Amino acid sequence: MPALSKASFLEHSHSSADPKLKNKRNDMRPENYEAQRQPPSNEYELNFGPNHPGIEGNYALKVKLHGDIVLEAKADGGYLHRGFEKLMEQRLWIQNIALVPRICVPDPSPMELCYSMAVEELCGLKVPQRAQWLRVMQLELSRIAAHLFTFGGHAATTGMYSTMYWGVADRDLLLDLFEEFTGGRVYSIYNIPGGVRRELPDGFLQRLTETLDYIESRLPDYDNLFFKNQVFVKRAKGTGVMSREQALEWGVTGPNLRATGLAFDVRRDDPYLVYDQLEFDIPVEESGDAWARTLVRRKELMESIRILRQVVEILPDIHGPIRAPIPNPLAWNVPAGETYTRVESSKGELCYYVVSNGGPKPYRVHVRGPSSMHAVQVLEKMSVGSRIEDIAQTMFSLDACPPEVDR
Amino acid sequence: MTQEVTHWLDNLLKEIEGIEVRRKSSRRVRVDVPADALPALLELLQGRAGYIHLSAISCVDWIDDDEFELVYHVWSYENHSLVSAHIRIAREPGVYLSVYDLYQPAGFFERDIHEMYGIQFEGSPNMEKFILTEWDGPPPMRKEFDSEAYINEHLSWQEYNPEWLQELVAEGGGVIIPPEEQRFSQKKK
Repeated sequence: MPALSKASFLEHSHSSADPKLKNKRNDMRPENYEAQRQPPSNEYELNFGPNHPGIEGNYALKVKLHGDIVLEAKADGGYLHRGFEKLMEQRLWIQNIALVPRICVPDPSPMELCYSMAVEELCGLKVPQRAQWLRVMQLELSRIAAHLFTFGGHAATTGMYSTMYWGVADRDLLLDLFEEFTGGRVYSIYNIPGGVRRELPDGFLQRLTETLDYIESRLPDYDNLFFKNQVFVKRAKGTGVMSREQALEWGVTGPNLRATGLAFDVRRDDPYLVYDQLEFDIPVEESGDAWARTLVRRKELMESIRILRQVVEILPDIHGPIRAPIPNPLAWNVPAGETYTRVESSKGELCYYVVSNGGPKPYRVHVRGPSSMHAVQVLEKMSVGSRIEDIAQTMFSLDACPPEVDR
Repeated sequence: MTQEVTHWLDNLLKEIEGIEVRRKSSRRVRVDVPADALPALLELLQGRAGYIHLSAISCVDWIDDDEFELVYHVWSYENHSLVSAHIRIAREPGVYLSVYDLYQPAGFFERDIHEMYGIQFEGSPNMEKFILTEWDGPPPMRKEFDSEAYINEHLSWQEYNPEWLQELVAEGGGVIIPPEEQRFSQKKK
């Protein structure tokens, strides 16, 4: 291919688009732009995002307002679309392991696990016990990291930036642990079909315990700074209310569903790995508002610490291999079949529908991110009637993850 | 799911004509039905068996059979099991019914499938573009859509070799952090 200058590249890439679009682009140039005259009205439209501190990730809400009351909201996604599902059909089964964690940036570990579980089910691979415990450890660490991130984001929407700095700084300690035992800080790519990639480094469980003790010792500070703070309590109570009936009708899962009083958790009700051998509670709240949703996450954080403490206690007694033998991954034909795997991520029910036609690449992978419900239809419905300053809080309290929606 | 519930569900499903039920595990049931029987099946599952949560609708393009497969995954909070209902529809014209009246989450999945596969769902509340707002090509998830061929046809490749990259390559490339500067080894033992 001949090299092109930037100007000719742009020229070329635009020339292939249809002429209507080209004209539209010219209309949008400042010298050609003329403000449209509208009949006088008290209603106006506002683009909330895609680049806005009150929006989680690159996502947009187009809201129609009367004064500061929202009349209509339209979710606008696609800013993070990277075509993962199509890409996965063009990569080997093993190569996709590097792709999947990128689908959800703040909580990538459940993605790896859900995909690996699907391949294991298609191949009939049995994962060794030790690998299952290591996977639980990774998942719960990822859940704590994701919740700390969400608290920070939510606090920032009510003007409490200190909580955000604290949350991000404490999450960093968990990322250090990730770096140590997986090699990656954010995208760990630790799971592979059949087990996990690495054994734990020496003394890791001790350092994990220290970090857990530290995070736990910080929680009273978080309570004083954020969860009991009257600024937060008064803003969040009664904001973005969703009844249990609405939540079930709208297909909401995860902490958002539990905040309406229904104790449903995939870890307990459709168990995977060794969650049926672990002791943990499923925290619920009744009021279904932004306050309840955040409080459920706060309680879940404690449950994750409790699970991790059990893992630290039990893991040294479980010996054996960390992965089942798999065929040559570069010439791996997974038997034909289809499977639907489910995992509880920090945002709700995460599912993968994987189809194989017996070839070296997946025939179809469908990712059902939990946010595809509460970041689109639910957010649109819940925003109506709320005040403009509460939109950001509603979105953060739902813990919407746009990359999961766009895939 | 207890054995009693399993029997009861199997008997209930027999009410649908042309149905084929396969139990994959204690919590997973695969059901194959003719396309026109699906709304009746979902109504039965939701109304009489408590499968009130539509987890997802997946679409698979079986281009060799000239068919699309639609899979409706429904979950019951009561008997903790997931039923996956499979149907096949003709690739052309690729039209099916919306199940939004039964399950509201279907609105999102149908919109997504419409965008990615070009299937029209009659009665779905919103078929507007969502992710591929500025896309005017064919539905990209269809098997006949070749992304690489599309790029070669519509865009040109660009040489990219800036000075800083050339310098980096000349120095041996990459960024090497000495072990003592790596983050986790800095911690006090």
